[in-house]
Amino acid sequence: MSKPPVIFSIGWNACINCGACVAICPQEAGFISPFDTIAVDRPCDIACLLCEQICPVDTIDHVVAPPPETALT
Amino acid sequence: MITHKYDIVVIGSGPAGATVSRFAARAGLSVLLVDKKQELGAPIQCSGAVSRHALEEVGLPLAEEYILEPIYGFAIYDQAGKAKKIDYRRLKGEVYGPGPDRKPLGYVVDRRRFDRYCMMLAERAGVETWLKTEGLGYTPAADGSCTVQLRRYNQLLEVRCRVVVGADGLMSQVGKWAGLQTHIKITELAGCLQFIVDRVETDGLLEIITGHEWAPGGYAWVFPKGNGYAEIGLGVISTMTEHSAQWHLDKFMRQSFFKDRFAAARILEVQGGGVPLAAPLRTQYADNLILVGDAARHVNPITGGGIHTALSGGKIAADFLVKHLQGAEREDCSAGALAGYQSAWLAALGDKMWKLYHAKTAVFHQEDIPTRDAYLFKTMSDYFDPNSEYKKI
Repeated sequence: MSKPPVIFSIGWNACINCGACVAICPQEAGFISPFDTIAVDRPCDIACLLCEQICPVDTIDHVVAPPPETALT
Repeated sequence: MITHKYDIVVIGSGPAGATVSRFAARAGLSVLLVDKKQELGAPIQCSGAVSRHALEEVGLPLAEEYILEPIYGFAIYDQAGKAKKIDYRRLKGEVYGPGPDRKPLGYVVDRRRFDRYCMMLAERAGVETWLKTEGLGYTPAADGSCTVQLRRYNQLLEVRCRVVVGADGLMSQVGKWAGLQTHIKITELAGCLQFIVDRVETDGLLEIITGHEWAPGGYAWVFPKGNGYAEIGLGVISTMTEHSAQWHLDKFMRQSFFKDRFAAARILEVQGGGVPLAAPLRTQYADNLILVGDAARHVNPITGGGIHTALSGGKIAADFLVKHLQGAEREDCSAGALAGYQSAWLAALGDKMWKLYHAKTAVFHQEDIPTRDAYLFKTMSDYFDPNSEYKKI
């Protein structure tokens, strides 16, 4: 069973912009934020959560992405 | 619309990208070096330790501008604090030491200044350098060249070149553009955190602390950082612990055999990063594209050190590109035509890095923790031994 897509949220106060989350991310090119982190503005359909696991300061969290039919269009 | 044409476009101005650019421009190629940052090297994701040999090998002047402190050797600790010291001031005092007629073994550098210095040398060698410029993608063209899409101060533009060099670090997007297998295993990427601190004494040695208790899957370090400061950090493999690197660093500072030494420490900077303790990428080239430095995973899998490998790999890449782009086959920049870069790199450096990777894997395949700890201590001690076959990596 595939995992539901998630949207990541980053506690920017603790984030040290180290890029470890991007380095471990299996997404295609471009799944990044302007602050050298994984993207936080769109769902991640892989949801492996390796980025949360690698984060040296434990500052990445997620919520399950709302299903597409309820998303704003 | 294509506004500019170059022989090569280098994405990322770290030690690898700037070195490729400098040597390529010096040999007469036209080079554009871009970096998305406004300030190179920041935020710092590196301890900054590099051997003197590594700098000299690529013709980098030993400049006060970027050197924070000279290094004269190593101290490897086991979990309980027993140390093996390899101090070249004692081993070869006639060669190594402070003062005239003697020299350091290596340095701890300020990566902000160091990266800027490397770019400055490239610029003076004739490289066109653009900051605040991000690579977005590339498209090989029918005539054997390619187009690179860039965004510079919010403006989209396209440049034409023959070869793109991906030097965009561990977070490399360039390798992904070409569909190269760049994925790293979670068991091979150490999450690292370090503090620059005041009020911790050091003695010109790189101190490496092994032991699962302090840094599961990696090691801890205490490096001199110039101006009387020290750098205390560690890297952990997240599958070997429930906790973050931050939690482990806090524990190391409060509970280890160094707790008295660290008792008065005051944190001046917080830095972190991912450090690959992994094999080099199996394929580091594609049509009109090669990868260098961290982007190609040119990182020592035992130490996690990547400056030396970035510098010498950068020179190898430049030497290859110069020969190829000034040779008879220069119109052909397909993957097959660029494969020679990787062969040259393997012969000069890569084969040894693969050997180191196997040595590192043998350590962490040990299931029993005390056995693994003993094995890691021995591997580290052997690695830094004056007679080590890996001395120049």
